[in-house]
Amino acid sequence: MTAGTDTVGDKSAPTGTDTATRAGSTRGRLVLKGIHKALGGKEVVRGIDLTMEPGEFLTLLGPSGCGKSTTLNMVAGHLLPDSGVVEVDGRDITRLPANRRAMGMVFQSYALFPHMTVAENIAFGLRMRKVGAALRRRRAAEALELVGLDGMGERYPRQLSGGQRQRTALARALIVEPDLLLLDEPFSNLDAQLRVRLREEVAALQRRVGTTTILVTHDQDEALAVSDRIAVMAEGTIHQLDAPETVYLRPATDFVAQFVGEVNVLDGIAAGAAADGHRCRIGDSHLVTATPVGTAPGDGEAVRLYVRPEAVRVLAVPGKGRPASAATPDPASTSTRTAAEPGLPGTVEATRFLGTRVRCVVATAAGRVEATLPFGSAVPGLGEEVFCAWRPQHASLTARP
Amino acid sequence: MTRAAEPETGPSTATSGAAGKPFAASAGERARRLAGAAFAALVGLFLLAPVLVTIASSLTTTSYVTFPPKGLTLHWYAELLNRPEFLDSFLLSIGVAAGAAVVSTALGLAAGLAIHRYPFPGKSVLDRLFSSAFAVPTIVLGIGLLQWYAQLGMASSPLTLLLAHLVLTVPYTVRLVLAGLAGLDRSAELAAAGLGAKAPRVFWHVTLPAVRGPLIAGAFFALITSFDDLTIALFVVTTDMQTLPVRIFNYLQYNYDPTVTAVGTVMVLFAAVAVVIIERVVGVAHLFGADPED
Repeated sequence: MTAGTDTVGDKSAPTGTDTATRAGSTRGRLVLKGIHKALGGKEVVRGIDLTMEPGEFLTLLGPSGCGKSTTLNMVAGHLLPDSGVVEVDGRDITRLPANRRAMGMVFQSYALFPHMTVAENIAFGLRMRKVGAALRRRRAAEALELVGLDGMGERYPRQLSGGQRQRTALARALIVEPDLLLLDEPFSNLDAQLRVRLREEVAALQRRVGTTTILVTHDQDEALAVSDRIAVMAEGTIHQLDAPETVYLRPATDFVAQFVGEVNVLDGIAAGAAADGHRCRIGDSHLVTATPVGTAPGDGEAVRLYVRPEAVRVLAVPGKGRPASAATPDPASTSTRTAAEPGLPGTVEATRFLGTRVRCVVATAAGRVEATLPFGSAVPGLGEEVFCAWRPQHASLTARP
Repeated sequence: MTRAAEPETGPSTATSGAAGKPFAASAGERARRLAGAAFAALVGLFLLAPVLVTIASSLTTTSYVTFPPKGLTLHWYAELLNRPEFLDSFLLSIGVAAGAAVVSTALGLAAGLAIHRYPFPGKSVLDRLFSSAFAVPTIVLGIGLLQWYAQLGMASSPLTLLLAHLVLTVPYTVRLVLAGLAGLDRSAELAAAGLGAKAPRVFWHVTLPAVRGPLIAGAFFALITSFDDLTIALFVVTTDMQTLPVRIFNYLQYNYDPTVTAVGTVMVLFAAVAVVIIERVVGVAHLFGADPED
């Protein structure tokens, strides 16, 4: 269906109540097929394929220059792809100019119109759609309330704080009931505390209004906190597109693993499938288990494992070192290795107290393994022989690049 | 005016108030303010004195220009009515000045947008040319234009005069527009387009408001510069077609009666009226980029 003008009138329908509406969103199914784009002689987007379901909150995450903003601008209609197709709800909009798409975009710089009041800024999209002044005022007031800026309509953007400006930009984008809400690094000009608060607000608001949303950011915490799915991008391609937990715990590539938090990288040899994952030999004889990303490797193939420090448990070796009662708070885990459990033996090389947690460095056959022990767990002594273990679903296994 | 100048009066504050201790501030502060006000008044007087002298001497009953005036009369203003060439010159000057204002605003906007937005061959040369045009002495410009017009076979006309003045004014309006555009967030235009505005409406609602101040200032500047110009006009005009400054200049070479001071006074009044009108319409402060909210 063509959005824009014909849907502007009835606001009540999609903004009814909480989460149910989000699941019930029927608008804003975005499909990107084989998108390429060169800027200034350099190919910054190199083949993006992506399908978003109505109501989904997807984040394009990556370092600057990875093509995420360029991709967003092609969805918005500010850039024309060199090749590829952009579809919204089955309609090819690749060559449709920005002013004829129904995208609500929020910019890093807020991009408010400085000579207009907040209310005029917010109502701008309605004005362009020839909505009458009275209705514009009413809708602007509603939008102001939606973003918690009641009564600020007569101010000018320069009289607002950064957070208020960003809320204004958000209201301005949402008032036209866009097919998609496009957020281009919307929080990066805010201070750390406000950034966290505003991103929670935006996520909650998105769930309420149910607009399909793309967030572009380089901040992995932000991406993990708000997204339904994350597309991790580097050098113009999507390295991994998955739910936040999956991206974090089972990164598909070196880049994803390193970009989204800290990670232990272990090289080994594939040693056959097991009931709970895939076995992998590290060093001469140590067997560990991990979950393959993509197709499972054949036996004997060189593989690479990624394990987050938080996922690593440091277990006492029976009969050596500390007593078995020094338990970690995780009730499902035992502090001592059970005979059958796969894992990696090593020696504690360093421990660092970090306030809320303790970082423990264990020297193993595969190099140093870092573990983050939760608050309150027993800290092994230096030089103690321990055992590093993890749940198979907390470690990812890929073919070695 | 004096109040606005107060904080700028650094040199006088250094002598009066700077040594004051925090708790002895009130006396020192008062002295500082007084010194500031006096300084501002002196500067104002210095700037206004020539104008005041001109106005005053136009009222003299003597047949020569003198200050202070001897007696009071409006005779020299009545005398103006017997000299239609002054009125003709005034109308010519005003016409050319208005033309310069309109054309250089339009050209300044177009050239400013082109330089700010689009790559084109010769862009940096053009940009530098606009930046350095101020440095060319107007007398050199006048001689050059004289040569050019002769070469091209262009007879003196209000059009050649207008072209000559555009050489002076367009670089200013271009610089002003560029400064305005530098303050415009490009993504505001993208946002407007994304909200459904076609290109002309984006320009009208977002781009133009950003350069509104610079455009008004540019038009005002062009008007004054053109109306005021003597040097270039001297080379371009003919005996039949003289701008007001040229007319006054030529008149003064053979006469020194108070008619010229009367003309000068009328010019001052004209400028004052223009300033008042502009102040009423847009505000002079706004014109020079001051933000009324701050």
